[in-house]
Amino acid sequence: MSFVLSPRTVEEAVGLLAELPDALPMSGGASLVAMKNARLIEASHFVSLAGIASLHGITATDTGLRIGGMTRHAQLAACDLLTGDLSMLRQAAGQIANRVVRNMGTIGGAVGNADPAADYLAVLACGDAHVELTGTEGSRLVAMTDYVTDWYETLREPGEIVTAIHLPAARPVPSVYRKLCRVPGDYATASVACASDGDGVRVAVGACGHGPIRSREAEAALRGNLRDPVAIAAFGAALADLADPVDDVRGTSEFRLRLIPRMVAAAISDLEGKR
Amino acid sequence: MPGKQVFTLDLNGRETEVFAPADATLLDVLRDNCALRAAKRGCNQGVCGACTVMIDDVPVRACLTMAGACGGRAIRTLEGYGDDPVMGRLQEAMNASGGVQCGFCTSGLLITARNLLAESPRPAQAEIRSALSGNLCRCTGYVRIVEAIASAAEEVAR
Repeated sequence: MSFVLSPRTVEEAVGLLAELPDALPMSGGASLVAMKNARLIEASHFVSLAGIASLHGITATDTGLRIGGMTRHAQLAACDLLTGDLSMLRQAAGQIANRVVRNMGTIGGAVGNADPAADYLAVLACGDAHVELTGTEGSRLVAMTDYVTDWYETLREPGEIVTAIHLPAARPVPSVYRKLCRVPGDYATASVACASDGDGVRVAVGACGHGPIRSREAEAALRGNLRDPVAIAAFGAALADLADPVDDVRGTSEFRLRLIPRMVAAAISDLEGKR
Repeated sequence: MPGKQVFTLDLNGRETEVFAPADATLLDVLRDNCALRAAKRGCNQGVCGACTVMIDDVPVRACLTMAGACGGRAIRTLEGYGDDPVMGRLQEAMNASGGVQCGFCTSGLLITARNLLAESPRPAQAEIRSALSGNLCRCTGYVRIVEAIASAAEEVAR
């Protein structure tokens, strides 16, 4: 039996989570309540984060953008601040589930849940994002590329909540989010986030391992060779080598491994077309 | 009784007190405690759209909304649209066009369609289809539903 608690501040929320070891934080509920309905989770309490004002909204900071954890997918899909190399985040948000579910689900909830096939992880790894985690000891920032440690395991400790996502300021260069899925709104079979970076690209692959796949070494090797199909194929192959996809209802592991180089090449080609 | 609690809801413009299990969803409370059964329990996973209701003028899934998180929020179900002429036109058009067969998805579709017309009074076909993408219908093939919404929109806008 899960009771719902509705704290008004982050301090109160993390205090409740520390005090109640069998409680879970709840943001939009789009995944959490679905899991409750399917009897996949049990919690003594759901600590709702919806009433905490500081978790809502997108603000410009000295270093870039701070996206509050309670920011809904629908808000990100319509956010004018997400331009240039951050437009891939706007594209990804608009492809999650359907419009009604996008009114509910939040970026903090999605990042906290860390479903490998969900849309934000690859985009945030590609975008050099940091996750702001807050517990009773205070807040800390974790790089998205380090954040996911295993299947549904992250650096978020029990009792911590995702209070915000931090992104560097948008740069006026193109970015793209490519998602292959069975029907619009499904989880990704495979996904690729790709942003221009001078004479190179930043790329992260989603839904092909426990977390987003990114290789700075491979990106360095590709730098200056964006029009060389052999170099692009080698780059895609290097990312596929780092992947560990599962066989599931959306596709086999082998299918996903074959998809990665193709989707990466297509994403890079999209960017070249937008320059 | 252990595990039950009183929820105070702003439901279709009326303050309503409900005594229900602490972990009830809004859909549970509407159907099991308030006898408001327009919202249907289809998948209970947020996929099918049959439980779509409005909270604070935004369409959401009642099955993914905890009743305990609804305090202070204005909930409107299909039953709360009795005096809304636009909803009336939508209902008539759905009936007339054959957009209703088994009827299970209809309440959720009507809420979605009403919200679409609030945002976009004369939506294009593609806009209607996009808006309905979160509402599953297994009978009609959608064509007549899209036609019904387009014709109702046309009449209302005239």
